[in-house]
Amino acid sequence: MRLLLVEDETPLRESLSAQLKEAGFAVDVAADGSEGFYYGTEFPADLAIIDLGLPDIPGMTLIRRLREAGRAFPVLVLTARDRWQDKVEALQAGADDYVVKPFHVEEVLARVNALLRRATGWSQPVLHCGPVELDTSRQIVTVNGAPVELTSYEYRVLECLMLRAGEVVSKAELTDRLYDQDFERDSNVIEVFIGRLRRKLDPNDELAPIETLRGRGYRFALPRAEDRHD
Amino acid sequence: MPSSLSARLLLSVSVVLVLFFGLTVAALDRLFREAGERAMRNVLEVHLIALLAAAEGSGSQGLSMPEELPEERFAQPGSGLFGQIRDENGEVVWRSASSVGAPLRDAPVLAPGEREVTNLALFGDMPVMRLAMGVDWEFADGTTRRFEFDVAESLDLYHAQVERFRAQLFSGFLGLMLLLLAALAMLLRWILRPLRRVEAEIAEVEAGSRSELGTGYPSELSGVTENMNALIRDERARLKRYRNTLGNLAHSLKTPLAVMRSALQGGGASAGELEAQIARMDAIVGSQLKRAATAGGTALGDAPVPVGPVASELRDALNKVYADKAPRCDFEIADDAVFHGDREDLTDLLGNLLDNAYKWCDHATRVTASAVDWAGRRRRGLMLVVEDDGPGIGASDLRRVLARGARADERAGGHGIGLAVVTEIVEMSGGSISIDASALGGARVEARIPPR
Repeated sequence: MRLLLVEDETPLRESLSAQLKEAGFAVDVAADGSEGFYYGTEFPADLAIIDLGLPDIPGMTLIRRLREAGRAFPVLVLTARDRWQDKVEALQAGADDYVVKPFHVEEVLARVNALLRRATGWSQPVLHCGPVELDTSRQIVTVNGAPVELTSYEYRVLECLMLRAGEVVSKAELTDRLYDQDFERDSNVIEVFIGRLRRKLDPNDELAPIETLRGRGYRFALPRAEDRHD
Repeated sequence: MPSSLSARLLLSVSVVLVLFFGLTVAALDRLFREAGERAMRNVLEVHLIALLAAAEGSGSQGLSMPEELPEERFAQPGSGLFGQIRDENGEVVWRSASSVGAPLRDAPVLAPGEREVTNLALFGDMPVMRLAMGVDWEFADGTTRRFEFDVAESLDLYHAQVERFRAQLFSGFLGLMLLLLAALAMLLRWILRPLRRVEAEIAEVEAGSRSELGTGYPSELSGVTENMNALIRDERARLKRYRNTLGNLAHSLKTPLAVMRSALQGGGASAGELEAQIARMDAIVGSQLKRAATAGGTALGDAPVPVGPVASELRDALNKVYADKAPRCDFEIADDAVFHGDREDLTDLLGNLLDNAYKWCDHATRVTASAVDWAGRRRRGLMLVVEDDGPGIGASDLRRVLARGARADERAGGHGIGLAVVTEIVEMSGGSISIDASALGGARVEARIPPR
């Protein structure tokens, strides 16, 4: 998943982007509103994290402009203002959730994961597809209840496919969502990840969870289970 | 202009009274003098007719008066009544004893039937009114001669009457005016007594022997005193808020200070460690002071905030944040449910309550708002109830969740910081908050906020 982080405070931006990358996200960073608008409109993003107190364009305005430019990705707002009026205004401007500074990184990660999941139509933190279960909040994958050990990148690839289960995800999209723009792109890496995922999820060749569509990409083939609302 | 209201009123009423009484006195005086003059003229007329009746034609066309005159004052010198008769040549035929040495009239003799009334001075300085009349006297032999009869009466008595009348009039009106002014002054004392009470009570509030102004003021003043009370309460709440903030600030700054001191004493204080503590202190200072500075009930000048629109905004916002859970949120908000204070405070108050309800509910939340009568106030206060169908709050947790000064990093803990903020806002406005079980199954938080 590829995130856009717009935050003017350098230490916070650097530490947050490092922690997001550590959690397996590709992160574009912008230090002010106009840079944020450029990245948000010129590069693919699955979600934007926007600080409300930006030096040039206020965060609220940036969100509005991104929405006007047709960008529908979820927006998580960071705000130092702990008053409900500000939260309400940000949400009205087009944001989807907020985190109040100072925050724990876990809080941001939890909100980011929830927003990504929601944007793809999943309403619960645990994604069910056939016997495969992926818990987005704890980042745990099980098949028929048995846990599967995945590396961070493998997890991100699987999450990407399962979030959009049933849809075709191109190799380029996967690359975009896994790496920053300055990363040297090598599509073979994706093939390697897919191969490893198939072996780990389906050691006995019974499930065939991931289909390869020649020239188009990959599809998570197991059917989504009904979302269980409590 | 005098600075006292009663002095202003007394002064203006005095001016009006003086004008009014002055005009009345002048009019009455004039009426009295006119009536007096008319009476004088009648008296002179009677005297003249009496003289005419007393005069006798004596032989060959002469007139004579008897020794015994109809009015004996004619015979007394200095009596103030004078008489004289002249023939057609202006020769004095008869003159009363009182008028010896002072011709009553020496102008040409009047034609028969002609009358003349004149005020003049006799003997140099005695003011008199004189009536002169020309007559044709018919003698026994059938011949007629013209004569002029003059009578005059001294005005001294009349003037004395006028003086006495004026004196009575002036003293009467002066007394009446003083009486009216005295009554007005007493009335003013009585009417202005509530104002003096306000003054005294404000002095007591300043001195600290009284917490706010009392009740039972007349309706013209109760608006002022209620607003004054709102101002006093607001000021007091603001002070309390500042004290709380300073207390919290001091308390929360001690922890990073202790960390820094122990790091320094241990000798191994790294720049990064100190930097982190400094950043923490900076954040604490920023958030605490900002809250203290921006929030606060406004007593005057701001219109009351209707609850409905604020609640709708918050529901839209929270529906977005809790899209996974998508709970139901019912409103029962009366049109006249208004919050007497700052809009941001209402947003914080309801935002925190509703956020908690969304967080803890299973499916359903409810916001109820209505206007409620408030003891001792003309305007109605607000009752705000937020409920959910979650697990509720146990009795043992109640005191903890309502306690002030829950630290910001405890905020993930749910009901904690949110309710502390709510409590602060409600208490600052002079209201009350209570928590019990909801008919929905979960917690029910009820806040009551007084009118201004």
